[in-house]
Amino acid sequence: MTGSRIGAIIRKDLTEFSRNRFFVFITLLVIVAYVAVFWFLPDSVDETVHIGVSNSVLNTDVGGVTESGTAGFALEMYSSEEELKTAVEEGQNDIVAGIAFPPDFLESAAAGETPTVRLLVPAGLPAEIQLLLEGAVSEIAFGFAGLPPPVDPITEAVVLGVDRAGSQISLQQQMRPLILILVLMVETFALSSLVAIEVQQRTAVAVLATPVRVVDFLAAKGIFGVGLAFSEVVLLGLLIGAFAVNAPAVLVILLLGAVLVTGFGMIAGSYGRDFMGTLLVSMLFMIPLMIPAFGALFPGSSPTWVKALPTYGLVQAIIRVTVDGDSWSQIAPSLLLLAMWGVAAFFTGAFILRRRVATL
Amino acid sequence: MADNGWVTTSSNPAAALAIDVAGVRFAYGDTVAVDDVSFSLPPGEILGFLGPNGAGKSTTIKMLTGQLRPGAGTIEILGMDMPGQREEIQARLGVCFEEKNLYLSMTGRENLVFFSKLFDVRDFEPEPLMERVGLSARLDDRVSEYSKGMRQRLMMARALINTPDVLLLDEPTDGLDPVSAIGIRDLIRNEAARGAAVLLTTHDMHEADALSDRVAFINQGTILTIDTPDNLKLEYGRRSVRIRTRQGDGVHEQVIPLDESGTEDRIRDAVSAEGLMTIHTEEATLEDIFVEFAGRGLAG
Repeated sequence: MTGSRIGAIIRKDLTEFSRNRFFVFITLLVIVAYVAVFWFLPDSVDETVHIGVSNSVLNTDVGGVTESGTAGFALEMYSSEEELKTAVEEGQNDIVAGIAFPPDFLESAAAGETPTVRLLVPAGLPAEIQLLLEGAVSEIAFGFAGLPPPVDPITEAVVLGVDRAGSQISLQQQMRPLILILVLMVETFALSSLVAIEVQQRTAVAVLATPVRVVDFLAAKGIFGVGLAFSEVVLLGLLIGAFAVNAPAVLVILLLGAVLVTGFGMIAGSYGRDFMGTLLVSMLFMIPLMIPAFGALFPGSSPTWVKALPTYGLVQAIIRVTVDGDSWSQIAPSLLLLAMWGVAAFFTGAFILRRRVATL
Repeated sequence: MADNGWVTTSSNPAAALAIDVAGVRFAYGDTVAVDDVSFSLPPGEILGFLGPNGAGKSTTIKMLTGQLRPGAGTIEILGMDMPGQREEIQARLGVCFEEKNLYLSMTGRENLVFFSKLFDVRDFEPEPLMERVGLSARLDDRVSEYSKGMRQRLMMARALINTPDVLLLDEPTDGLDPVSAIGIRDLIRNEAARGAAVLLTTHDMHEADALSDRVAFINQGTILTIDTPDNLKLEYGRRSVRIRTRQGDGVHEQVIPLDESGTEDRIRDAVSAEGLMTIHTEEATLEDIFVEFAGRGLAG
């Protein structure tokens, strides 16, 4: 009988959800918009740095620089410095900077003089990139002058961790966990709104005046919340190709993620006094929960405290499976962390909602 | 049984008690909402809880529904302990709340069917119930489209889904037009005639008078007295005759108490005088008696 009552509450919640135009609109919008954004993003990374070079006298003498092109630089030749400036300012041909050689560059170099070469960079170019380019100018200049660099050591690169040279993570791949988590977050708000409505309109009181136990009521909310978030994120995952690698692991990760956000949905719903209040409380949870996903867009940029956020394990697990192709054993630590946060959030949410309902 | 020192009379004292409340107390923090409240209610009787807002009526109902756990005292409903046997009791309770806590995005039918599943009512058909509350034509309309009075009637229908043995009605005619209110009162009487014990709270003395077999005056969390409306009026009310006569260009009005010496002579004189316009007998209302007990009115 408990099962049939829980089932009745879940079906009722589903009816309410499907009749709420806002929830339905947001849900459909999120799926359509995120899928569109995902497939519009570049699915590969151009690892070549395009640099513009001016000086017509050098046009026929680029043989020495071609090797540099294979090492990550591609030179675009311009006939004048003015033309090069325009190209740099407008970002023509993807060039990130320009090198303007003086007209007497070759003669000065041959005479052992030190000619001035101008590096043209667009405003806003990071200082680190500018320094890197200044170093590259010398190498390119030696190449044009047909001279060997003063010191030419053999550099042996040792990559610690996954060597991404030649197979960089595309923006599309980087965005995948963020999109999945954004969808889970939206469903946090949907669930919290449904819970808040039940609390505000005191329909929970009417339900609990029947033989329904509080634990049945909470179980129904939990199952509905997890089911809603999981089904939507799985649908989105299918549309953005999240199950191409180790689909069972991705499913488990998303299920645990749905449990996690359902817990936060119940907390937000318990404290929301009206629509705006619920939205505000939901946002208070959503913003910090999304930080690890944003951090994944810029690897190495996240401070240590991000690891303490509940969604860190979720993001790491998704990335390691979908991007790195890690096995179950390799993602176990992230999965365990996610499971711990999921269980903690779910039971905390249920506890707070129980207290809220008891005081109605 | 004794209720706060007052003798309780019952229309059917031999029947087993549907509700038996003894020495119940509840406080919201430091504020005592209900203090040492005792009363009992046999099946088939309607007991009206009459008191102003904040008197402790709704808190008492919440303890009976199991929403609140009493700080002291005992509550037995249908011979079972509340909250110890909460689910068994709730299966036989019908509750009409003061707030219209219905699912607005669902239709009247969907609301009733949903609650019938929570009560595990087999083969539930909402039509007869909606017919009884005059809403059969709006069965498949969303509750958000219902008027306030229609919502109140749907609340009553919901309270009857499980054919309850005990009905707890918190301001059941609140917001209803006079015609609808009469319909709901008939419904309540029919439920009592079927054998359901009915506890209704109200601050409307007319409602309490019209419906209740007994009324309990409650004020500041304490029951002041419990008795039938007639007994209360006889015991505590003042009967009088109001006589209006024309005198010259004006109208003279006098109120003659019926319970004083010389009443007959005064009435005879007034009636035999020229210019008699109207004679009305008057009896105390429940509100008058409530004021005597509580030192305040029922409003507010």
